[in-house]
Amino acid sequence: MNFRLSSEQESIQKAAAEFAQGEFDKDVALEHERKHSFPYEIWKRACELGFIGIHYPDNCGGQEYGVLENVLVAEAFCRQDSGLGIALSHADSTAEMILRFGTDEQKVKYLTPLCTGKAISSGAFTEPDHGSDIRSLGTTAVRDGDDYVINGSKMFISNGPIADFIIILCQTDLTIEPSYRGQSVIIVEKDSPGYTAADVGEKMGNKMTPTGELSFSDVRVPKANLIGKEGQGFYQALRILEEIRVEISAQALGIAQGAFDRAFAYVKQRKQFGRRLIDFQATQHTLSELMTKIETARLMVYKAAWAIDQEQIDPMLISMAKMHAARVAVEVADEAIQLFGGYGYMLEYEVERFYRDARLMGIFGGTREVQKNTIARELMK
Amino acid sequence: MNIIVCVKQIADPEAPEESFTLDSEKNVFIPSAKITKVLNPFDEQAVEAALRIKDQSGAKVTAFSLGAGLDRAVTKKPVFMGADELILLEDEAFADGDSWSTARALAEGIKKNGSYDLILCGRQAADWNAGQVGLGIANFLGLPYVTVAKKIEIIDGKARVERVTSNGHEVVEVQLPAVITVSNELGQARYPAIKNIRAANKVQPVVWKPSDIGIDPSSVGKNGRRLHLLKLFKPVIQGTCEIMEGESTEEMAENLALTLRRAKIL
Repeated sequence: MNFRLSSEQESIQKAAAEFAQGEFDKDVALEHERKHSFPYEIWKRACELGFIGIHYPDNCGGQEYGVLENVLVAEAFCRQDSGLGIALSHADSTAEMILRFGTDEQKVKYLTPLCTGKAISSGAFTEPDHGSDIRSLGTTAVRDGDDYVINGSKMFISNGPIADFIIILCQTDLTIEPSYRGQSVIIVEKDSPGYTAADVGEKMGNKMTPTGELSFSDVRVPKANLIGKEGQGFYQALRILEEIRVEISAQALGIAQGAFDRAFAYVKQRKQFGRRLIDFQATQHTLSELMTKIETARLMVYKAAWAIDQEQIDPMLISMAKMHAARVAVEVADEAIQLFGGYGYMLEYEVERFYRDARLMGIFGGTREVQKNTIARELMK
Repeated sequence: MNIIVCVKQIADPEAPEESFTLDSEKNVFIPSAKITKVLNPFDEQAVEAALRIKDQSGAKVTAFSLGAGLDRAVTKKPVFMGADELILLEDEAFADGDSWSTARALAEGIKKNGSYDLILCGRQAADWNAGQVGLGIANFLGLPYVTVAKKIEIIDGKARVERVTSNGHEVVEVQLPAVITVSNELGQARYPAIKNIRAANKVQPVVWKPSDIGIDPSSVGKNGRRLHLLKLFKPVIQGTCEIMEGESTEEMAENLALTLRRAKIL
């Protein structure tokens, strides 16, 4: 058993932190927050330095690292800024579907632009009537000659309005029982006739990642856009959700640590009743509780990522990490606001934004309840 | 073109005061175990200066660092930024040296490494801020030197250097090989790139001990010191606040400027 990151992993962690500290300007972040805009400039710089798609293969412009290294980058980015961090680490949303199930041609064609700052991806599983339950889908793809013709709609899709291509889960066999055995994953490019994406509107947080409602009306795509095998989409989606959940748990971990850092710095300089806040034992105990929570989340997240890299995917651990880290992010951000007092409620002091962004962590990529279902199912096996 | 850049690992100069203590009896600095180690920011600027020359006209950039128990994630940073090679003068004997013993060991290391056209150092290290190692290397190697550079251009075997002065800058030329110390006015140093981290971790840095560079271990590090520290203490920092008066914002600004000039800050 070895709990240490390698020197190489430490270097990646330091490099990601240094980039984020240097480039994630607070005013720029607040501007994107206000405008609900994606931080294209910063994202392009992150791509140039190799942070995006760090886990892709060499021939696609990647760096051949694993899930753990990707986790270290997501954590460092979200620690510096929750909104910019989520936006950047989700810019290649669901690309793992192509990475794990795509052909070599598909990998080169779709992954290369994602890590070289030329394209943004989106994964569309959720539908207006199918959120956590994706066993049956309303979106259909029917074979017509060498094409699929796609009809239906998708809801709450991260990057939907700005994605250059969308990785959708749809029903290709309309008669099979149970229906999830007739699902497939297909790529739709943004300029396909019949495809439209609309922004879902004001959200509580996560404002730098546009969220969309997608509509497909007789969208025709070549059958070469099928990822993996026809009829295997449901199983592929479950497999990829494991990786997405680990990445989200890393974002949650970074948000928790970032909120803690800000509160810790504040209580060291803020004086009340003639003493610094940190000199009150009540404050020290709060900090101790928070740091303990963050450390437990970190151990779970790193272990879950490491297990994937060892090809020992552990669905129970992943769901526990996702549920726990998401909860810790909210709890730490909440206490951080409390330590800041009135200032914590102000946009200027950032922790309220960390709190709003943290709240998403227990919802997207599988709600807390879905994680509990997985944990229980694995427990009872 | 062979460029040598000398870099130093230091305790994070931005670290809070609680992260170290001073023993004023023995005149030693005692960092806490948790204090982060970083590359001296001025040395990063020197690496950046070397890489700008490399980008422009091609060069082999070799980084040198000296110390004991060096952190690879820190000392490899020049390579992560784009330098070609790293040579570490690393041994317990190198610990706790002064500018003289450090400059001497680095000069011997640079000689052993072979030919060089330009040697770059940060203007000073952000721990002891002596700013003498670069000049010491020039002295040991018998080279001319230029200090506090903000821009370096290589033209026909000479370096044209813009050097910072108290009221602007001056432009000087120096025949290569030469030593140039680089100032923060050079501009932002580039970030480490993941592809460089990946490449760097496939090769181990060259490590030389005192005997490898022909120096007796008993004459380097703390045994080679010629400078003796007489008093080490934390200064007491006192702040007072003065409110600028004035009828208008402009007048208040003018009063502020005049006050700062009287205090010799401007």
